[in-house]
Amino acid sequence: MTSTCEARTRAIGAAAIIELTGEVDGSAAEVLTTAYADAVSVGEARTVVLDFAAVDYINSTGIALIVSVLAKARAERRQIVACGLSAHYREIFDITRLSDFIELFPDLDDAVSQLAAAGA
Amino acid sequence: MTRRAAPAPRRIAAFAVPSEPGNERLALARVSEVVAGLGLTTARLERLKTAVAEAAMNAIEHGNNNRAEIPVEVEVLQKGTEIVVAISDSGGGPAAAEAAENPDLARKLDGEQSPRGWGLFLIRNMVDAMDVTTEGARHTVTLTMRTGGPEAEGAGHDEHV
Repeated sequence: MTSTCEARTRAIGAAAIIELTGEVDGSAAEVLTTAYADAVSVGEARTVVLDFAAVDYINSTGIALIVSVLAKARAERRQIVACGLSAHYREIFDITRLSDFIELFPDLDDAVSQLAAAGA
Repeated sequence: MTRRAAPAPRRIAAFAVPSEPGNERLALARVSEVVAGLGLTTARLERLKTAVAEAAMNAIEHGNNNRAEIPVEVEVLQKGTEIVVAISDSGGGPAAAEAAENPDLARKLDGEQSPRGWGLFLIRNMVDAMDVTTEGARHTVTLTMRTGGPEAEGAGHDEHV
């Protein structure tokens, strides 16, 4: 299955940003896993920001991928935060309880400024 | 006391998609198109789309075991103030309900439960009602969503718009 998910990683301060584009479903596994590895390979990267602003579809297997990334990050004592989710996917993060473990910000600018203010 | 007869169901669409990975998006797009203008708010339409995609994905992967030659059949009905979407597989695989395990995120993060297993949970939380029926090798997941009015708006989860 060809993935329509793309990821771009960069660092802003102590945060590693993963900007996702397209569809986060089962076919995105390699893209997301590689992006996480790339993101945390530079500097401290105590916080990883998943930016969903350009994502138009997340399904249950995509949720499972996000759970796997979150589990890995927690094992490495890194914080995961997310931004750019639509109202619908924020609701899904709430009902799955992902939002209990992943702080949600409206957009990337807001996430970066609040993380910087918190010293992350 | 007089009783009104329930309005006769109106079939809005019936179609099939081949059981190939990713084709749940075709079902989602078609259902979204045919229910447009029937009174679902944007938020409730998004919920229905997610439920349809998850039910179709279950039918493709589990019910029909990704065998393209066995179609997933989708029927969309309007019954008064309800939109009903019936999604059927006939490949002899397990019904969605039989394959379901209640997801627990804390246990998943601790490695005690697979990261997967969210499909049925999402469906149940997205629509006003979900039923699974089995006739021989054929499983049908029926999703019901009420349209319009404050009653429908109050159903299910709070709006996050």
